[in-house]
Amino acid sequence: MAETGRLRQTAVASPAINPVTLLRIAIILAVLAAWEFLAHSGWLYRDVVPSLLSIGRAMAALLTDRNYYFNLGVTAAEIGAALAIGGSAGLVVGLVLGANRFLARAFEPYLYYLGPTPKIIFFPIMIMWFGVGPESKVALGTLSCFFPVALNVAAGMRQIDKVLVRVGRSFRASTWQMVQKIYLPAMRHPIINGVRLGFGFALIGTLLAETKLSNKGIGFLIIQTYSIFDMPAMYAMLIVLFVLAIGANALIGKLGGLDSIKRN
Amino acid sequence: MPPDPVARNAILVAEDIIVRFDTPEGPLTAVDNVSFEVRQGEFLSVIGPSGCGKSTLFNVIGGLLSSHEGIVSVAGETISGPHKSIGMVFQEESTFPWRTVTDNVAFPLELVGMSKAKRVERARHFISLVGLDGFENRYPGELSGGMRQRVSLARTLACEPSILLMDEPFAALDEQTRLLLGDKVLQIQQQLKQTTLLITHNITEAVQMSDRILVMTYRPGKLKRVVEINLPRPRTSEIVGSETFGRYVAQIWNDLREEANRGMRDEEQNALRQEEQAL
Ligand SMILES: Nc1ncnc2c1ncn2[C@@H]1O[C@H](COP(=O)(O)OP(=O)(O)OP(=O)(O)O)[C@@H](O)[C@H]1O
Ligand SMILES: [Mg+2]
Repeated sequence: MAETGRLRQTAVASPAINPVTLLRIAIILAVLAAWEFLAHSGWLYRDVVPSLLSIGRAMAALLTDRNYYFNLGVTAAEIGAALAIGGSAGLVVGLVLGANRFLARAFEPYLYYLGPTPKIIFFPIMIMWFGVGPESKVALGTLSCFFPVALNVAAGMRQIDKVLVRVGRSFRASTWQMVQKIYLPAMRHPIINGVRLGFGFALIGTLLAETKLSNKGIGFLIIQTYSIFDMPAMYAMLIVLFVLAIGANALIGKLGGLDSIKRN
Repeated sequence: MPPDPVARNAILVAEDIIVRFDTPEGPLTAVDNVSFEVRQGEFLSVIGPSGCGKSTLFNVIGGLLSSHEGIVSVAGETISGPHKSIGMVFQEESTFPWRTVTDNVAFPLELVGMSKAKRVERARHFISLVGLDGFENRYPGELSGGMRQRVSLARTLACEPSILLMDEPFAALDEQTRLLLGDKVLQIQQQLKQTTLLITHNITEAVQMSDRILVMTYRPGKLKRVVEINLPRPRTSEIVGSETFGRYVAQIWNDLREEANRGMRDEEQNALRQEEQAL
């Protein structure tokens, strides 16, 4: 979806088809051809590389399956909740740490150590606290996306041009006005970047948790198709998921990008 | 002189201002015991070589620096932060890159809750005053440095402060624009009877606009001399050619040359010392 959008844009930008676009199309075609060749070669155990046709058929079945949409909704809601909770907590913590050098010195080392730790190791605890339902997935997603948002926002806040803060203070802006009219807009790039990263981490955290232990959601479906070795259905799900993730990422980028083209 | 500053008609008083900074090379006194008064409606300039502490003094008076000694008072009231009757124009690039020219200029009006229609109208007026008609909907990134500086000026003028502080507001402009814009500012200042403190290192500009000029020494920044400029008003840029004008310029130039020389020597020595340390 996003890919065709981008291709159309480049095509509009230059009337003659540009060599980069041509190469990109060639790459995709080559990969598809190699895939199809492998599928029919019989070199691999059956269905590890299913034919494009069977993936297509599985995809059609998937996209007309109401149960799939239900599970997709569950996962989307989990990721959305994780991003909302973890993202806003990260934003607030980032703002506070960015504004207060003392607190930053005290807390940031912990954030830096915990940030890159794979959050999945906390999943057993989350299950104990929140049960096997969606709550534990939201908790893990929240935990995953909190760190990149907090660290990005804190770093972004320190990079703000100091004179803009002085301008706001000289006009006697209130604390809330400073946040709303100076800090947040001045930090829109790091914030968007943080949310983008946060989204990626929330997605990974949530799906990973679903594949470990759950009874609904996309991660659950993927593991289910895997356990009955329905490879075409599994690939179809992965492809849809991949496209959705790209789309969501592009959307987040666009929300920030609209601002940045002219305003910087 | 009557002892009470208010009785002397002093609206802005700075008393024994001292500012020290901790630097890697040890403590540095940026402003050393500076005291002065600005009378109601007066146009006062502070002139001094680069690095002598002008911007530091500017920030103290604007209430943006808290780690200083001494007292600043406005109309007899000691300030403890940015004062409502003071408007500041900063030396650095200070437009908001995410706001259009109009929204930049309307910013202070927005803060006090003025209605959108009213603040846009007022912003338009000041945009046109600084000669930026036609650029209302542009973003700062699409303007030249001098144009951005004029946006900052318009933004501060838009709240019609009774005391205007300006830190080298014309530094990024070419000579002609500087003179024309200087005329405009002077015109507004005379109209509104605005008390103005201009920081500059341009002697011509200072003499052309001011009632009095404070000359500062190179580090530590002290007051070296106060020069009264007795030239008739209204003054326009044409006055620059007159003989009296030339005398004032020569006098201040003499003072400044000494300080600038001292500054250059100082910095050369610093550079030498650093080189030696590096070896
Ligand atoms: N925050 C700070 N920390 C340490 N030193 C500082 C700080 N701000 C200013 N200084 C030092 O104080 C001195 C005075 O600086 P200031 O900016 O007031 O000079 P200025 O007179 O405005 O110079 P210019 O005409 O170049 O703008 C300089 O030596 C500068 O290095
Ligand atoms: Mg300065």
